[in-house]
Amino acid sequence: MNETLFTQLVDLTAGAMLLTAVLILWRRELAVIVRVFALQGLALAGLVAVLAAHEDSGELWAIAVGIGVLRAGVLPYLLRRALAVAARRETAPLVNVAASLLAAAVLMMLAYVVSAPLVSLAPSPATRAIPVGVAVVLIGFFVLVTRRRALSQVVGFLLLDNGITAVGFLTTAGIDLAVEIGVSLDVLLAVLVLQLLTTRMREAFGDTDLDGLRELRD
Amino acid sequence: MNLAASSFGAAVSIGALTAIIGALATARSRSTLVGIGTATTGVAALLAGGAALTGESFSLAAPGLLPLSGVSLTLDALGALFVAVTGGVAVACGVYGVSYARHGLDSRLVQAVFPLFVVAMLLVPVASSVGTLLVFWELMALTSLLLVLAEHRRRPAVASAARWYAVMTHLGFVTILSGLLVFAAHAPGDDFAALREAEVSPSVAALVFLLTLAGFASKAGILPLHAWLPRAHPEAPSHVSALMSAAMVNLGVYGIVRVGFDLLGGGPRWWWLLVLALGAVSAVYGILQAAMSTDLKRLLGFSTTENLGLVLIGVGAAGLFAAFGDRVLSGLALAAALLHVLNHAAFKSLLFLAAGSVLHATGTRDLDELGGLRAGMPVTTAAFGWGALAASALPPGTAFVSEWLLLQALIHGLPADGGADAIVMPVAVAAVALTAGLAVATFVKAFGVGFLAKPRGEAAARAHESPPTMLAGMGLAGLACAVLALAPTLVLPAVGAASGVALGGEASAVTGTVTIRLAGVAGSLSPLMITLGLLVAAVVSLGVLRAVAARRARRTARLWDCGGGPLSARMEYTATSFAEPLQRVFDDVLAPEQDVDVDHFEESRYLVRAVAYRRAVPDRVERRLYQPVLAAVAAWGRAGTRLATGSVHRYLGYGFYTLCGLLILLAVTR
Repeated sequence: MNETLFTQLVDLTAGAMLLTAVLILWRRELAVIVRVFALQGLALAGLVAVLAAHEDSGELWAIAVGIGVLRAGVLPYLLRRALAVAARRETAPLVNVAASLLAAAVLMMLAYVVSAPLVSLAPSPATRAIPVGVAVVLIGFFVLVTRRRALSQVVGFLLLDNGITAVGFLTTAGIDLAVEIGVSLDVLLAVLVLQLLTTRMREAFGDTDLDGLRELRD
Repeated sequence: MNLAASSFGAAVSIGALTAIIGALATARSRSTLVGIGTATTGVAALLAGGAALTGESFSLAAPGLLPLSGVSLTLDALGALFVAVTGGVAVACGVYGVSYARHGLDSRLVQAVFPLFVVAMLLVPVASSVGTLLVFWELMALTSLLLVLAEHRRRPAVASAARWYAVMTHLGFVTILSGLLVFAAHAPGDDFAALREAEVSPSVAALVFLLTLAGFASKAGILPLHAWLPRAHPEAPSHVSALMSAAMVNLGVYGIVRVGFDLLGGGPRWWWLLVLALGAVSAVYGILQAAMSTDLKRLLGFSTTENLGLVLIGVGAAGLFAAFGDRVLSGLALAAALLHVLNHAAFKSLLFLAAGSVLHATGTRDLDELGGLRAGMPVTTAAFGWGALAASALPPGTAFVSEWLLLQALIHGLPADGGADAIVMPVAVAAVALTAGLAVATFVKAFGVGFLAKPRGEAAARAHESPPTMLAGMGLAGLACAVLALAPTLVLPAVGAASGVALGGEASAVTGTVTIRLAGVAGSLSPLMITLGLLVAAVVSLGVLRAVAARRARRTARLWDCGGGPLSARMEYTATSFAEPLQRVFDDVLAPEQDVDVDHFEESRYLVRAVAYRRAVPDRVERRLYQPVLAAVAAWGRAGTRLATGSVHRYLGYGFYTLCGLLILLAVTR
C-alpha cells in the first residue's frame, strides 16, 4: 500500500468514527443510536485493518477482525436485546441536541489543542489522526454525562472505549494482543452487567431514567 | 550455604508450608499441625538468629521476585537479634496454640494466617531494601489485622479495636513509606547499602527521620500514637496478643535503630532528645494507665507501651551519647535497650499466655471478677507470678538487669556536657525510677487481686487448669525468663554484636561471665549471686521464723472481722480499690471520672438504701488529641455528602468537568 492511499484510508476511517460519534449525539431514536454505534465499530475495525495492512502484521489483522466482531457485532446485538424491553426514545436529555452539537464542536477543538504535542512528537499520517480519537473519547464522556436513558449511557461508555482504543492503536501502532483481548473482555463484561442492570431496573422501577435513582443513596 | 542462611530458609519455608497446611488440613488436626509447624519455624528462626549473632551472615537478592524493586535480604547481627526474639516467641506461642486454638480459633483463615504472621515478622528485620522492607511490613500489618479480627463474631468490641488498629497501622505505613521514599530518592538506589552511602542534606535527613520515627513509634505503641495498642491487644486471641506484644512491637524499635543509626548514621542531638522524651513520657504514662486498668489484658497492653518507652529511653540516650562522641556510653545504652527488648519479649509472652489461660478457664479478663485462681490453676498462677516478678524490675526478675544497665548508662552520662544534657539525664533517670516503682504496684495488683485471695465471681470459683500444651507454652516462656534473669551474660555478647552493627563495629560494652562488668565505666552486677543471696536470705529468715514460732504455743482463731460475720469476697481489695491511692496521687495527670450515687429510703434522708460508685479513667491523651481530629474528619465527611446528591449524572459530571478543566489547563499553560 502506498503512502497516499494509506493516508487517505486512515483519514476516511477516522473521519467515519468522528462522524458516527456526532450522529449519536444528534439522533434521539435509541434504535438508530445502536445502529450508528455498530457503524462506528466497523470504522474502528477498518482503521485497525488499514494499520495492519500498512505494517503488514498478522497480529494486527487478527485484532482488527476481533474488534470488528466485538464492536460491530456482539455489542450492538446485546444493546438491541436490551432495547427490545426498554424505552424507544431518548426523551429530554439534560442538554438539548443543538447545544450538544455546539459542545461537541468545542470538545473537538479542545481535543485538537491538547493532542498537538503528541502529534508533533512523531508526525505521521497515523499520529495525525490522534485528535479524532481524543475527540471521540470526550464526546463519549459527554454522552455519558448528559443522556438520561441507561441504554444511551451504555453507548456513551462504549464510545469512550472506542476512542481510547483508537488512540492506542494510532499512537503505538500495535497494542499487545493480550492487552487488547483483556480490554475487550472487560468491555464485554461491563456491557453484560449493564444490560442486566438495565433490565432489572426496568422491572423494579418501570423506567430506566437514571435520575429516578436519586433516592437510593445512603 | 552457612547455618544462618540454611536455617533462615528453613524457617521461612516451614512457615509458608504451615500456612498451606492450615488452609487445607481437616478441622480436627488443624490446630495441632499449625501449632507444631509454627513452633518449628520459631526453632529454625532461633537457630538462624543465633548463628548470625555469632558472626555468620548471608545476603540474597532476587530482583525478579517482586515487580519494580525485587527482593533483597541480608541477615546481619542487628536484624538477627530481632529474628531470634521473634523465633523464640513463636516457639512458645506455637506450642501454646495447639490446644488454645481449639476453642473457636481453628477456622481455616486464622490457622493459615497465624504462621504467615510469624514469617512476615521474621522477614521484616532481614529486608535490605526499601521496597522489600515495605512489602514485608505491610504483610505483617495485614496478617496481624486478620488475626486481631479472629473473634469478631463473639464480641462486638473486636471490630472497633480492629478498625482502630487498621487505620493507625496504615497511617504509620504511609509515613514510613513516604519517609523511606524521600530517602531513596536522594540516594543512588533503594537498597540499604546505597542508602548508607547517600549524601543527604541535614534537612532531608531530619524529614526522613521524623517521618519514619512517627511510623515506627506508632507500631511500637509509643505516645501519642499508642491508641491502637490497648484496644487491639486485649481483643486479639491471647497467643496472638503475645506475638504482637512480644515480637511485633519490637520491630518498631528495630526500624528506629536501623534507620536512625545504621542508614542515617546517627544525627544531630535533637533527634535523640526527641526519642528520649517520647520514651520517657510513654514509659510513665503507660505504666500509670496500666496501674489504673482493671482489664487484665489491657493492663498488659499498657505495660507494653511502658516497656517500649524504656527501650526508647535507651535508644535516645545512645543516640545522644553518640552525638557527643562518647562511644562507650552509647554502646552501653543501646545494649541496655536491646537487652530490654529481649527481656520484655520473654516476660510479656509469658504474661499474655498466662492471661490467655485465665481467659480460657474463666471467660473473663476483668480483674474485679477474678481472684482465688491459685486453688484451681496452680501452674498458671505460678507462671503469672514469675512473669509479674520479671516485669516489675526487681531481682531476680529479668527486667531488673536491663533497667540496671539503662540506669548505669544514664547516670554515667550526667557529667558529659552542660546544657540540655545536664537536665535531660536526671529527668530520664527519675522517669525510669518512677516507672519501675509504678510497675511494682501494677503487677502486685494484677497478681494479688487476680490470682490470690478469694474468688469474687462464679467463673473464678470454677476455674480449672489449662491443658498440658498451653502449660508447656507458658513453661517455655518462663524458662526463657529464668535464663535471661540468671545468666544475662549468655546473651550479652550477642546484644553487643547487634548494637555494634548499629553504632559501627566496636567491642562489646559489657563483659564478664557470671558478673556483668561494664567496659569503660565503673559498675558491676551479678544477677546469679543476687538471686542466690536472696534465696539464702529467704530460707534463713523462714527457718528463723519457724524456729521462733515453734517455741511459742500456737492458737488457731478466726481472722478478726469487726464483728461483721465471716470474711467474704466483698471485703477484699478489688483492682479498682487497690489502684485508688495511686489514682489520688496522680489525679492531675489521669483526670479520672468518678460518680457516686447515694440512694435514700423514702422515709428518711438518714437511711441509705444503696451507694453506687462508678469510676472511669479515660485515656487523656486520646481524648485531647484524637477526638478533635476525629471530629474534624467527621465534619469534613458530612460536608462531603453535600457533593454526593445521589444523581448519577452529577457524579459523572464531576469526572467530565475535571477532565475537561485539566485538559484546558494543559492547553493554556503549555
